[in-house]
Amino acid sequence: MARARYFIIWKELDPKRRRVFQLFSFIIPLVIWAIISYCPVVWHPMVKVSDPGEIAHFKVDAMILKEAFHRENAKALEQHRRPAIGAPANPVYLPAPHEVAASFYKAFVTPPRLPDEPWLHQSLWHSITVIIWGFLISSAVAVPLGILCGTYRLFSYLTEPFVEFFRYLPAPAFAALAVAVLGIYDGPKVAIIVIGTFFQQVLMIANTTQRLDPALLEAAQTLGARGIKLFSRVVIPGILPDVYRDMRILLGWAWTYLIVAEVVGNSTGITWFINQQAKYRIYDNVYAAIIMIGIIGLTTDLVLAWIGSQLFTWKSRKKSVLSRLSAAYASSSKVKPGFSQETP
Amino acid sequence: MTSHDVFLPSYREQSLEVRARFRKITERPVVLQVNRLGKTFDSVKGAVQALKDVSFEVRRREFISIIGPSGCGKSTLIRILAGLEENSSGEILLDGREVSGPGPERGMVFQGYTLFPWLTVLKNVMFGLEVSGNSRGITGNTTEQEARDWIEMVGLTNFADSYPHELSGGMKQRVAIARALANRPRILLMDEPFGALDAQTRAKMQSYLLQIWKNVDVTILFITHDLDEAIYLSDRIVVLKANPGEVQEIIEVPVEHPRSPEQFLSLEFLATKKRLEELIHPPRETEEMLPIIRMTQIGDDVY
Repeated sequence: MARARYFIIWKELDPKRRRVFQLFSFIIPLVIWAIISYCPVVWHPMVKVSDPGEIAHFKVDAMILKEAFHRENAKALEQHRRPAIGAPANPVYLPAPHEVAASFYKAFVTPPRLPDEPWLHQSLWHSITVIIWGFLISSAVAVPLGILCGTYRLFSYLTEPFVEFFRYLPAPAFAALAVAVLGIYDGPKVAIIVIGTFFQQVLMIANTTQRLDPALLEAAQTLGARGIKLFSRVVIPGILPDVYRDMRILLGWAWTYLIVAEVVGNSTGITWFINQQAKYRIYDNVYAAIIMIGIIGLTTDLVLAWIGSQLFTWKSRKKSVLSRLSAAYASSSKVKPGFSQETP
Repeated sequence: MTSHDVFLPSYREQSLEVRARFRKITERPVVLQVNRLGKTFDSVKGAVQALKDVSFEVRRREFISIIGPSGCGKSTLIRILAGLEENSSGEILLDGREVSGPGPERGMVFQGYTLFPWLTVLKNVMFGLEVSGNSRGITGNTTEQEARDWIEMVGLTNFADSYPHELSGGMKQRVAIARALANRPRILLMDEPFGALDAQTRAKMQSYLLQIWKNVDVTILFITHDLDEAIYLSDRIVVLKANPGEVQEIIEVPVEHPRSPEQFLSLEFLATKKRLEELIHPPRETEEMLPIIRMTQIGDDVY
């Protein structure tokens, strides 16, 4: 019975089970990663030498392919030399979870190798500013334009065909052009994010605007609203929560353009950090940096989702924290006079 | 047809009170006049005539229903009257002046409530007053006070600060009525307003509407496909026929005022209903039989 309940189509699970499964969505990949890292029988194609014995070209901590290690040891035994000792290991590009976890701290406190290179937190902040600028510039134009396209057919026909065409042009294709026009610093990076975001944004916002319930516009007209008031008092408030949701999705897309944008011109930000660490073969730092991007993205989205639920209480059935606080304040201030009467 | 063996008077027979009432109504000024209204749609199969030469007039504070079989164009008619669609021919006069396009003097209540979900009940009712700029009514109150009065009238004082999603269907429709009335329209157009409600709520809403109509200076044009509802609420019923939508008959309802649910079984009520049935579902030679083969055991009969 209980088992069958999981396989009813669209059947919501109780909150406790839901949370457990949501937690598992992170635990499962972690466990797989741990099994690959900590079970010597799983994969482990290398051998990490702990004692090179009498094999000349083996060194302590050298990573040798398993076949080569056994071959060399067999050869050594044949020639009555002391064989090497080593433990199975994964390639250097797959660090174990605890190594990556340690890197989260280590990466922040490791000073840059050259004095004018940025620390990790500076690189991260640089990336975030590039995203913010790109997204703000794109939104400043795309949101009003998208709403106009979704509201008035004139703007829709005037812009949408070209936007449809342009959105198929991959943003990185404009990298060289962006450098030529905007120089090698942050200008072209922001431009790549703008190009990658803008055209999708116009279409998405226009589409969202068109999905406004036409009956609401009709009702407003029979109540005497027309022209700009119809626009400002019905269209805008009606689509605002959906536009907000679109913006959250688009911000996620902007992050995907970041890595491309940051190698345009002089490499900067988190991408520079990742490439630099990969060059030094410090792969646990590389993983840590990649996971950091995910954490920043997910946290931003969760925070924005929460803010959205507070802003658009009429969409959800919950009361906002603000209104609950003010209600609590109102009820507590009602109580106060009672107390003062009791204790004159 | 056995149920019709009961002797029913003609629906044209009116008691003295009813006759006097209709005489008084005809003395009132005409609010809405519809003259030879026509509407043609262009479809893939060519032009389709939805409405043809529809003419009638509504007098001040009259309650008039429009009824007809599905596809008779009654919704198209009310949408044209509200200005949400354009007519192909004919004219609509409101207080003697031709109207086109939607306007606050013709309020509308839709079947789907159409409350603004982002506004509280209070703000919904204030909407019309704010956008049309006639914030000071005859009482000289503020917009908010006036809106609160209308909310009180439909019995939702405690829900003034609620959002539409927190209300039941009947409550939503009461807000929609208050919202339309707050604009003090010359005529209130209602497009199957209780169609989405369950039978009990619908009966309650009908009684609310009669109370409101009695106490507010408003003329009501009401669309429905429910014969009982039309008879119970209206002074007169405009019966349309389909393909094309034409006025078949305008019936003066002989049921006395004030109306109450007990009248559903009165002779005048039944006589009017019989007439409406004849007009809307004309008797056929033979009832349409479905080609069903017997799938039960012999002797296992339910009739």
